[in-house]
Amino acid sequence: MRRLGMLSMLLMLLSHPAAAEPGAGGTAAPRVRLETTMGTIDVLLYPDRAPETVKNFLAYVDAGAYDGTVFHRVIPGFMIQGGGMDAQMSERPTRAPITNEARADTPNRAGTLAMARTSAPHSATAQFFINLVDNGFLNHTAPSPQGFGYAVFGEVVSGMDVVNKIAQVPTGSRGMHQDVPKTAVVITSARRITP
Amino acid sequence: MPATLLFSDVHLSPARPAIQDILIDLLQGDARRAAAVYILGDLFEYWVGDDMVPPEFMPVLDAIRALSASGVPVFLQHGNRDFLIGAALARRCGLQLLPDPALVTLHGRRVVLTHGDLLCTADVAYQRYRRVVHNRPLQRLFLALPRAARSRIAAGLRARTQQAVQGKPAAIMDVDPVAATALLDRFGADWLIHGHTHRPAIHRLDSTDNGRLRIDLGDWHPEGRGLWIDEEGPHAAIFPAIPGP
Repeated sequence: MRRLGMLSMLLMLLSHPAAAEPGAGGTAAPRVRLETTMGTIDVLLYPDRAPETVKNFLAYVDAGAYDGTVFHRVIPGFMIQGGGMDAQMSERPTRAPITNEARADTPNRAGTLAMARTSAPHSATAQFFINLVDNGFLNHTAPSPQGFGYAVFGEVVSGMDVVNKIAQVPTGSRGMHQDVPKTAVVITSARRITP
Repeated sequence: MPATLLFSDVHLSPARPAIQDILIDLLQGDARRAAAVYILGDLFEYWVGDDMVPPEFMPVLDAIRALSASGVPVFLQHGNRDFLIGAALARRCGLQLLPDPALVTLHGRRVVLTHGDLLCTADVAYQRYRRVVHNRPLQRLFLALPRAARSRIAAGLRARTQQAVQGKPAAIMDVDPVAATALLDRFGADWLIHGHTHRPAIHRLDSTDNGRLRIDLGDWHPEGRGLWIDEEGPHAAIFPAIPGP
């Protein structure tokens, strides 16, 4: 009987794989699959640490707004950024800017997903980036324009090899933009997946 | 080797916050990957002493300090509007003040850097005014005045400059090509890079392909504008307010 109890506990744990992950607060953390022209990237989101940012990201996902966007800024040893421009480098329409939820205990580690923004701390809309290395200087240190940092709201759980492959594509300047892949790296679809 | 970034004539003013946002984006963004950054004058619309920094300029000064602290050398030349920037501000921001003109070697080229107003030799009245305001004892006297008096005098000078500029033909406010070539000869240099005229262009001074160049950086309105130099040569760049880390 005792053994059966332990077995059922084990089964319960197995059926909640998100229980040990950062986004879990009783509910499973959402995951999103980015299908790109260079492979598949799965990300796990952190609704407990960045609820508004996760809600915002999922709104773009659910609207299909990331489909057909590109990784338009690729800098090896730093990050790859996308989600805002199409392959012709035209900017997609966006929702209203969101509050910056960057926090000191959620650093820009290699493989994390964070929101891109202009120098105004609360200006993020659709564009996000994936850190290729630990970018400590992007972390939140103070609630000031200099120290606000960049809001991390998820992490790559599968497909980091694809991310690193994208980081190696040849880039150049295009119009006002630098570090643009010479061959577009397209996010063909972004969809929620259930773990 | 990483590329070198140059820009000028940002004309930061509390009245133009958008320009400031673009500059901060650049300083916190691509400038961090530069071998060095050169600001060739008129970073500020006006400067009446290192002890009178408008609070609106603090974010830019902080961004410059963060950039230099991260190991990117930042050089600053005076312009015709911010020539009173002094050693105190330079220390505070980790800036290195450059004389005007200055000879530097960038990616194997001998390059003369100048704000550009010295080369507008056809504007005789301006050159006379320039000699007066660049007189060191007179500058010290001005900086010793009470703050209110300095602000009043500076506002008066700005108003008079605006009037004077409106009455002048455009040609005499441009760089004199003879003065530009003479400056390159004096330093035995390949390229001359300057701002001031707000006329961005790369001019060939010789008929040969690999000849001497006069590079006019242009100003920051309505978008940020500058120049990257690497082993291949000069590349003009525009810096819009774009998101990124």
